[in-house]
Amino acid sequence: MRIGIDLGSRKVKFALVDEGKIVRLESFDTLAFYKRYGRMTGDDLTFDLAGTGLFSAAEVAAASIVATGYGRNTLNLKGVRVISEIRAHVAGALFQVGLKDFTLLDMGGQDTKVALVRNGSLQDFVMNDKCAASSGRYLENMSAILEVDLQELSSHWENPVRLDATCGIFGESELIGQILRGHPVANLCAGVNQTLVKRVVPMLKRFPSDQTVLTGGVALDGALVKLLENEGFTIVVPEHPQHNGAIGCAVIP
Amino acid sequence: MKKTGFTTTIPLEILLAAGRVPVDLNNLFIAGGKSQELIDAAEERGFPRNICSWIKGIYGAMIDSGIEEIVAVTEGDCSNTRALMEVLALHDVTTVPFAYPHDRNPDALRQEIERMMAWFRVDWETVNHAGERVESIRRKIREIDRLTWDDNIVSGAENHYFQVASSDMNSSPDTFEAEIDCFLAEAGARKPFRDRLRLAYIGVPPIIDDLYPFLEAHGARVVFNETQRQFSMPYGIADLVERYRAYTYPYDIFFRLADIEREIKKRRIDGVIHYVQSFCFRQIEDMVVRQRLGMPILTLEGDKPGPLDARSRIRIESFLEMLGERV
Repeated sequence: MRIGIDLGSRKVKFALVDEGKIVRLESFDTLAFYKRYGRMTGDDLTFDLAGTGLFSAAEVAAASIVATGYGRNTLNLKGVRVISEIRAHVAGALFQVGLKDFTLLDMGGQDTKVALVRNGSLQDFVMNDKCAASSGRYLENMSAILEVDLQELSSHWENPVRLDATCGIFGESELIGQILRGHPVANLCAGVNQTLVKRVVPMLKRFPSDQTVLTGGVALDGALVKLLENEGFTIVVPEHPQHNGAIGCAVIP
Repeated sequence: MKKTGFTTTIPLEILLAAGRVPVDLNNLFIAGGKSQELIDAAEERGFPRNICSWIKGIYGAMIDSGIEEIVAVTEGDCSNTRALMEVLALHDVTTVPFAYPHDRNPDALRQEIERMMAWFRVDWETVNHAGERVESIRRKIREIDRLTWDDNIVSGAENHYFQVASSDMNSSPDTFEAEIDCFLAEAGARKPFRDRLRLAYIGVPPIIDDLYPFLEAHGARVVFNETQRQFSMPYGIADLVERYRAYTYPYDIFFRLADIEREIKKRRIDGVIHYVQSFCFRQIEDMVVRQRLGMPILTLEGDKPGPLDARSRIRIESFLEMLGERV
């Protein structure tokens, strides 16, 4: 039995896997999780996993724990095997979609990763750097400006309004300008989704594959999937895209 | 003795023949203990934020050190250097331009070298004499390099340090040579490293200060520092013009790649870190590097001096894990 933990910038995701089967998937707000259940002992961070109520004491006692995520690099996790995000996500994708050759596009709260997988192993990868404008956090900000929820934002892909700002913050004021010009909200939503496509396509084209596996919270954005398909990519979204990293931790050899 | 600064590696032999104290301003900037302050000062004076930190650091080091004379490499390095010369003229700094001819034409390079010699009022005899002196030190640095990849008893950081410092011989050839002798004596008694991975580091020297120890803590040692090695004129060529024609850094990427490919093969490299400086034209050359070197490459971008940021650490760790699964 193994518990996989993906310490993301927005959510901490958990996967409990036993004998190759996913038993349970859970998630928790990152800040709340650290505040309530994290504790520093010397240089080590310990989590009170049983205290979260997500796992029984018996499960916590029986399971080995593997973790990944942004938080792992600045913290020592006591009694936990730590692996890199890219490995976790590739392992998760291999487990979930059953493909051996694909390009992985993982779009999380802050990170965008593109990895080339051949014959089941990682060949090369790129990650966004310096800027997190192609991320879930960007979508959250834009939906707040447009006063629509994420579900609404992710349902529009037709007639995108052109948005050019390269910065997620300047992008907000650009969006406000387009609202004032009277564009329908649907087209503005499509425009926001199109900006994500513009940012990730150059990364994807570096590692072309017949199939692109899309994971991370942003994979729930159906409009993004549609727009990527319009660019000629065949997109595969696994059953649990948000938990892909946690699942990878729970299944990696 | 009068100090003469320079913006990138130049024929050091000429400065030494002229009795000048050579100061590689890159080394002064990065090793002087206040690199961020120097950049801040340059930005406060009006240098844009989205310009290479090295140019701001060189400017800051020049002003801070009070050096009054600079050899500025206007071709073969960075075009920002031209504007740097103009700004330094406002501070009454004497600037001596030096250009590496893009086509490596021997006559053009000889002319440039002789123009610089005329400025410093030295003839070929004294320059060649100074050349013999520095070549004797460079031979020892070549041995340090060999001990890195062949005997495996020198770390990536040590290899970096001695080669990068050879551009100005730490401003004092005699002291530097004594330091090298000491190091060689100490290193000779070491046990070889048992690295999991052997890396090549290509591109300009890093502005990041903890890259090598970070890599070594993860079982990966840099056994080839491309540009740093070039600074030490690694081919042992007797003729000065030919020596600086064989020096790859100021010429085109394909000339550099020929050296890189040869060394990667010789040194049994598992993976390459291509370091690029933010806002540098060499970032574009990454495309050529990736196409030509058929092996795993991590392109690492650095902007400001200091330790590796969390994101770069994640990328490096992932890269090393990936390499670990391949070897």
